[in-house]
Amino acid sequence: MFIQIEATSDIPIYTQLANQVIELIARGQLQGGDTLPSVRALASDLSVNMHTVNKSYHELEQKGIIRIVPKSGAIINPIVQYGMSRENRQRIIERIRPILAESLVLGMSLEEIEQLVSATLSLLKED
Amino acid sequence: MSLAIFLVTLAFMIVLQSAIPFLLKKTIVFGVTIPEKNATNSELATYKRRYSSIVLITGIIAFVAFLVWSINTHASEDQLVWIGLVIQLGLLLLCMALYLYYHAKTTELKRNKTWGIRTKQIRVADLQSHVKDAMLPSSMYVLPMLVTIGLVIYTTTQYSLLPDMIPTHWDVNGQPDAFSPKTPFSSIALLVILLVMQVMMLGINIATKQSGIKLNSSKKKSSQIQQLAFRKYTSWFLLMTTILLTILFSFLQLTTIHEGFQNVTLMMGLPLGFLLVMLIASAVYAFKVGQGGSRIAVSIAEEESTEFADEDNDRHWKLGVFYVNKQDPSIFVEKRFGIGWSINFGNPVGYFIVFVPLLLVLLVSFFA
Repeated sequence: MFIQIEATSDIPIYTQLANQVIELIARGQLQGGDTLPSVRALASDLSVNMHTVNKSYHELEQKGIIRIVPKSGAIINPIVQYGMSRENRQRIIERIRPILAESLVLGMSLEEIEQLVSATLSLLKED
Repeated sequence: MSLAIFLVTLAFMIVLQSAIPFLLKKTIVFGVTIPEKNATNSELATYKRRYSSIVLITGIIAFVAFLVWSINTHASEDQLVWIGLVIQLGLLLLCMALYLYYHAKTTELKRNKTWGIRTKQIRVADLQSHVKDAMLPSSMYVLPMLVTIGLVIYTTTQYSLLPDMIPTHWDVNGQPDAFSPKTPFSSIALLVILLVMQVMMLGINIATKQSGIKLNSSKKKSSQIQQLAFRKYTSWFLLMTTILLTILFSFLQLTTIHEGFQNVTLMMGLPLGFLLVMLIASAVYAFKVGQGGSRIAVSIAEEESTEFADEDNDRHWKLGVFYVNKQDPSIFVEKRFGIGWSINFGNPVGYFIVFVPLLLVLLVSFFA
């Protein structure tokens, strides 16, 4: 279960970390009930500040993807089976919209966008 | 006796120091990160060869000169010790000077050839690394402490038996050659020093466990196996050192309490055995485990990814040997030029674990 970060990227490290964890869950490599390493362990493995890891764990907690239990650490919540909450749906829509708009403005055709979405989805569901 | 000890340790130093450039990872040359594909560069190979041959030739000359001098002049024990120490120190200084020279040369070569400028640099970690970590549990380091505490209690019950002068130093033949007047403190000073060292070893084990498991992004799986093996053998080596120290110090303390224990052969043999076992264990550790476990054979086949390169940490490595990274919570990191661990100078906890015990040991031996 490897994660990788790129320190020189424009995307902040804590976001990269959170995205990688989400992707591992989507792929089924991390499952509900699994624990994430302690903040200190992951920070020292990646040579990053502990605040960075802490921030990304808190971001994941806010999204409802993990829960932080004192002394046990960060635990993955089971994937939601019965449809998502209204707030979560709203948040996703708000985040997708500008990206789709940007793709159109920069010259992506409708088919290309649709292809990209289904290709990415099948990549995530692949294994 | 001194001569033999100095010759053995000198020979050991010469072999290990001259072998170092070849025992290290190919991607770190004289403390400078070199991309995988440039690691076979012929100039780098020349630097390594020159370093090794200079150390080896100078070392052999010094070794022979020392031997001839000591046989021809019938030097006194004191002279032997001093000259021996000067030669060892001189060899270390030579190694350092050569290192700095080739560190500068390698840095320049890397800059001129613009190696690794265009590749995307990443850092990799495994979320399960620490679950797989097989370092010895810290409780094993507590057991030898119980022996020490037991001996402290035993010493106080046998206080009247103790001689009026407590030995504080032993010569190469294992015979006491310096003494302090008997006081409650001086009678257990040796045990206090032992306890401080045991606590230090425990601290080092705990800190090492908490330090990062740094993977090579182009060889994730095999570098993980090697890192985990490196950590495991480090903790074995540390525990072995702790146990040997405990045996040696306990024995010395018992010979002080009970003169009947003073067996000449044992008093000479035990410290020598200690030295010998430590030298052999270090050699095995260096040649079998290698830097970060790089000499551990890994049977899994892995595609080396060339799309990304491991992040170049050179800016955190001052002169290629001192790691200073305030962001990294690791207390210890793998050495860059050498085999073993080094302190993260950006994290003050490391100073505390290593320097405070040493200071305490010095204080105790001064006041005892």
